Amino acid sequence: MTRHIRGTGPLVATLAAALALTACGAGGRDSSDGEAAAADPGVTEDTVTIGGTFPLTGVAAPGYSEIPTGAQAYFDFVNEQGGVHGRQIDYIVKDDGYNPTNTSTVTNELVLKEEVFATVGSLGTPTQASVADYLNDEGVPQLMVSSGSLQWGDDVENRPMTFGWQPDYEIEGKIIGQWVAENMPDAKVGLFLQDDDLGEDAEKGVRQFVDDQIVAVERYTSGNTDVAPQISGLQAAKADLVLAFNTPSYTALSQLVALKTGYKPKWFYANIGSDPALVGSLLERFSEGAVAGSSSALDGVLTTEYIPGIDSPEDPWVQLWQKVWDEHGEGGELTNYRIYGMSQAYAFVQALEAAGEDLTREGLVEAIEEQGADWEGPQLAPFRYSADSHMGIAGVRVVELKGGKGEDLTDVLVTDIGEDAEITTDDSGQADDAPPESGVPTS
Amino acid sequence: MQQFLNTALTGLTLGMVYAAFALALVLIWRSTRIVNFAQAPMAMVTTFVALVVIDAGHSYWLGFVAALLSGLVLGAFLERVVIRPVEGKAEINAVILTLGLFIVLHALAAVVFGNRYRSFPAPFGLEGITVGGTTIALNGFGIFTIVSVLVVMGLLVALFRFTDVGLRMRASAFNQEVARLLGVKVGAMLTLGWALASLVGSLAGLLIAGGGLVHPSYMDSVVVFGFVAAVLGGLDSPLGAVVGGLILGVSLSFVSGYVGSQLVALAALVILMLVLTLKPGGLFAQAAERRV
Repeated sequence: MTRHIRGTGPLVATLAAALALTACGAGGRDSSDGEAAAADPGVTEDTVTIGGTFPLTGVAAPGYSEIPTGAQAYFDFVNEQGGVHGRQIDYIVKDDGYNPTNTSTVTNELVLKEEVFATVGSLGTPTQASVADYLNDEGVPQLMVSSGSLQWGDDVENRPMTFGWQPDYEIEGKIIGQWVAENMPDAKVGLFLQDDDLGEDAEKGVRQFVDDQIVAVERYTSGNTDVAPQISGLQAAKADLVLAFNTPSYTALSQLVALKTGYKPKWFYANIGSDPALVGSLLERFSEGAVAGSSSALDGVLTTEYIPGIDSPEDPWVQLWQKVWDEHGEGGELTNYRIYGMSQAYAFVQALEAAGEDLTREGLVEAIEEQGADWEGPQLAPFRYSADSHMGIAGVRVVELKGGKGEDLTDVLVTDIGEDAEITTDDSGQADDAPPESGVPTS
Repeated sequence: MQQFLNTALTGLTLGMVYAAFALALVLIWRSTRIVNFAQAPMAMVTTFVALVVIDAGHSYWLGFVAALLSGLVLGAFLERVVIRPVEGKAEINAVILTLGLFIVLHALAAVVFGNRYRSFPAPFGLEGITVGGTTIALNGFGIFTIVSVLVVMGLLVALFRFTDVGLRMRASAFNQEVARLLGVKVGAMLTLGWALASLVGSLAGLLIAGGGLVHPSYMDSVVVFGFVAAVLGGLDSPLGAVVGGLILGVSLSFVSGYVGSQLVALAALVILMLVLTLKPGGLFAQAAERRV
């Protein structure tokens, strides 16, 4: 017993000493700002190194592998104009093949070997979920995750370093649900869902409005390319409007099966799966049937938009992206996926601007929380960033595809997650703004 | 009713593709007594060859023939160059080697043909046939699939049962030493076995690609199901392979349609376990004789 008490004496002393040391350390950093910048990995006087993981190979690669090429082109564009606060942006892209095990490995490499300041735009729900806790534990900002899952922004307490970017699947589901309830109240709705967060979050949103209209719910497993049983199920339930939350390859596959089984409902594909250029290129060979050439492949299909794309070349943002791509692109056409990458890169540059000259990870997170909601940018609706929410873009617009172009059916509608958040018309003017002359955001 | 019919029909077509793949495995097994894990990527490579030919502006059928021929050549080449050095050693050596080939061919295809999804044309319409006002989930290409697999099965049965070459192939697979003593050119038979198997595998590749999307790993899901189908049938019998493929295709289609698509792989394993428990040699295995 006495031994025990005696034993704690040195322990307490050591703890106290450690605390004191920590306090000194913190104090030291506060007093000299120049050293603070040097304290965080990936930042020097004239560079900031960031990383990202994407499926450059494998099933998810079509389309998605183009996202980092767009971001890279925009960072090159910014670097050419002197970078941000005098720092050149060095973007390191790693391939994870959309396999969470690989994501852990390459993210480890980014953090430990490349010593990145933050990850930006890394893609995928299962992939990024596998490293979210690691990055947060290490204090590495996981910015603008390329996924619409709720988990990037709805739990700030546990994941203070993680931020979403695109509208989440739940608000997209809500907006789609409300539109259907108002405009097609007699439709028999079938849901075609990817069997993971994508389908789950979206279903939650959709059901708030059209619960009683739903006649069938079919889920496919990503990787299983035979969706005939699912489409047959929708057909058997006589669904005449299919709300589909799936990746682009499955848009093509579902269209092919529908052709085979003679199923002709109205299709409403969520934004993630509806890129007409990509789906059209997948379907272009099957011109014998009802699926015609590339641009008209998805004619009459309903979908949503949250950033301007290549179908509106007169949009000032798209003109900027075209210029950036022509000057710094790695070849090939400007595509919607590249625009996606550039739009994300634009937001990250805004974050760097806002974080100020003394760049720290905490300073960056704070800047996004405080100012992110007011940033103007290509997105049609503002970000929802705040100290309580790290959710990305607040809304979408419903469009109908005609000849590869989206024709607006609604204004930009904004809302938030949860049943209490109402859907309103966006009045921020985000949809009508234009980029600054230089093409680089200023704070 | 329509859903039931459509689910059954899509399962039937898919089962036939599994069957074609299983036939290729059976062929290699019967002629060399090893299991070829590289079957799927070999078929993938030849399918891409067809795509290159078609992309160059030639007809589908020219691409089709080119794929089959390149399958024949690829099979013979791999046997001669890669498998031959380990021939006669423990069988596991050759099997592991085919696993290595699986990875190498995958990587090469990604480098040579690119990694993106591409659509693969079909020679017949993709719209379902209309019977009495309702469209059923069977299109021209589906019928073509069923017919061609049945024809190939018939040819293989005939080859092994009624021809001299077939007998020699079986002999050299069964016991090289004895076959050699009897004057069979064992080496040539093994090469022929690989070449033919690769040709049938190419057919499977073309059938599953037609009217769908291809990329370097598009055959991977077929690998597992093709193996299960072959084992169901007893690995030794062409008829067994086809029946195994059909059982698997139809039941998996029903599982996917009526239970849940996430259970498909599990269901395949359950079917495999059931069959192997009840009939360990597979459905069509001949009783193994053992001398005591």
